[in-house]
Amino acid sequence: MSKQTVNRESQVSRTAAMALMLLLAIYFLLPIYFLIVAATKPQGDLAATNGLTFSHFNLFENLRVLFTRSDGIFGKWIVNTVIYAVFGAVVGTLISALCGYALAKFQFRGREFLFSVILGGVLVPTTALALPLFLLFSATGIVNTYFAVFLPSIVSPFGVYLARIFANAAVPQELLESARLDGAGEFRTFFSVAFKLMTPSLVTIFLFQFVAIWNNFFLPMVMLQKESLFPITLGLYEWNGQTARAPLLQESVITGSLVSIVPVIILFILLQRFWRTGLAAGSLK
Amino acid sequence: MSSKVTRFRLAVVAVAASVAVLAGCSSSSPSAKTSATSCAPAKGKVTLQYWNTVPGMDKVVALWNKKNPNIQVETKNISNDQYGILSNALKAGKAPDLSQVGYDELPNLRTQSAFVDASACSAATAAKSKFVPWTWSQTSFGNTGVFALPQDTGPMALYVRSDIFKKYNIAIPTTWDEYAAAAAKLHKADPKLDITFFDPNNAEWFNGLLWQNNAQMYSYSGNKWQVTVASDQSRQVADYWQKLIAGKLVRTDLANGSTQMYAAYQKDQIASYVGAAWGYSMFRDNLPKQAGKWTIVPMPTWGSDGASGDWGGSTVAFMKGSKHLYESVKFNTWLNTDTEALALENQLGGLYPAANAGLQLPALSKGVPYYNNEKIFDVFAASSKKINTSFAWGPTQKTVNLALQDAMAKAAAGSGTLSDALAKAQATALKSMKDQAIPAAAGK
Repeated sequence: MSKQTVNRESQVSRTAAMALMLLLAIYFLLPIYFLIVAATKPQGDLAATNGLTFSHFNLFENLRVLFTRSDGIFGKWIVNTVIYAVFGAVVGTLISALCGYALAKFQFRGREFLFSVILGGVLVPTTALALPLFLLFSATGIVNTYFAVFLPSIVSPFGVYLARIFANAAVPQELLESARLDGAGEFRTFFSVAFKLMTPSLVTIFLFQFVAIWNNFFLPMVMLQKESLFPITLGLYEWNGQTARAPLLQESVITGSLVSIVPVIILFILLQRFWRTGLAAGSLK
Repeated sequence: MSSKVTRFRLAVVAVAASVAVLAGCSSSSPSAKTSATSCAPAKGKVTLQYWNTVPGMDKVVALWNKKNPNIQVETKNISNDQYGILSNALKAGKAPDLSQVGYDELPNLRTQSAFVDASACSAATAAKSKFVPWTWSQTSFGNTGVFALPQDTGPMALYVRSDIFKKYNIAIPTTWDEYAAAAAKLHKADPKLDITFFDPNNAEWFNGLLWQNNAQMYSYSGNKWQVTVASDQSRQVADYWQKLIAGKLVRTDLANGSTQMYAAYQKDQIASYVGAAWGYSMFRDNLPKQAGKWTIVPMPTWGSDGASGDWGGSTVAFMKGSKHLYESVKFNTWLNTDTEALALENQLGGLYPAANAGLQLPALSKGVPYYNNEKIFDVFAASSKKINTSFAWGPTQKTVNLALQDAMAKAAAGSGTLSDALAKAQATALKSMKDQAIPAAAGK
């Protein structure tokens, strides 16, 4: 059937579609191209030369300055971001998997209601939650610690939603029943049977969480005041606010931005298969 | 991409504003214990909060903390949305002990009772002689208390592309009349060349120019503010620039510090820059290829007194609610008068000091390679001593600045004049004060 569709499509419309996609690709890639170009320039060439053409290649010097500035605080920010993103995404995925599995495979009173509440949570932007959380954490005294950013990061309503769909689709009820018949407890059943079946989809949830935490800006901004706890996003923002007093910071902000997107790009390329599965599942089921 | 960033920033600001509301609601009574007017030292160890916008300030504070185990200071950088964060904290009753505040924001925050008067501490009043005169008159509001200590300043001077002036055989101007004549000559010699640019969206800069002509924009007498934003001295400056704009002798399409501005300088389209002390590193770092072509000379003058103006700079204010005034004064005095601290602030944060001792720092007494090894800071030091000490900012300065910029942009686009812009600013000053129930009248 698909073959027929392709044949029926006229050459014109296909070319038009390709042209449109090419335009969009340029549109989306241009800022990244600019970032790469700008990161290779010395500060003096930023304003003085065309923004989209290379000039004096100074990337390595920029990197050296970036990583040695303020006693290497940028390296500390990278470590922080990795801690927040990796641990947050791992724990968040696990919690989502447990929740989603329970919602999919157990019958209990109020299940659909609970699920609706969680779905409702998807609609609440995390930015809106940052402030109530701040007041809450402020009262408990964990503002300005790792936990202030970590704890909110492990909660993901969308992850629960995806996990429920995946559990429904990937874990046959019969398999669970036979595991129980063989004498496995509920946790054993989950970790040895369901978890393995759900693994590909859990990678998707992990990716979603990882990217969300990696790019998170507002939550750390509200919660943190010590520079040594900052993630990259917040650190670069702070530097950017100081360029009026220290012009050379501008080049470090640009180089730092480039460095900060590299891990995400690598992760995407490695795991893009899972990412696509997740998007498709989320849209269809 | 940049519009996305802007929109995001707006969102952040909007949400931050709602923090203020939330925080305001949650704290039962913002500050019952305000008047910490006594200056008794605390027993035992004290921790002070100090908010600032200076790169590298944590290093300076670390030095203090090492030397003073009983007065520990914690810093927070508020470079982004400085006054928003500060005013939220004030509303929530969670202001720091000390905070960075620009000179032009002092009156506004004082009318909101944001400060505590540190004059109960003899160390605070004794600091008067340590600072450049005009800075003390602003932080003490004409010797009515000590609400802040001056930190840095922006004494103005003229940055000149000496090679361009030499090429066209034009002497470097020393008066504004000569400057206008030079503008005409340069433009005639090369239609693509202008002597400088007039940034219509920069009221702070324009205020510095008015200040230089001894314009008094505000004064306080008879229990009310006397508003003289559109005085004769101000109008003289406005008319002068109006003439240059009308004659197309200055560019009006550039914003200070923008990429476009540097590009124009890079292409040799502009021959001078009316700037402040902190600008020296902007040119050095953004236009390295023009090393050796720049020189810095005193501002062109209006009269015979050789007065100069100031653009920018800031203070470290004593914030209301501080429970440790004695310790705050001690730290603040060290921070802004100790030569070791000042040298570090200058080196890491690019601050041009407000303290007399700071003007003689070794780093500020040497020639600067980018500027032909000239001792450029001698020019700024001389400038800072010739700045009118009775100049004062208004309590609604920000609102007035916005109105002024709005009208200046229109004037630059050809509708109305800069003189009209001053009249607009004067009217806005009176109205905004009336709206806030601050007694004010049009002064003479």
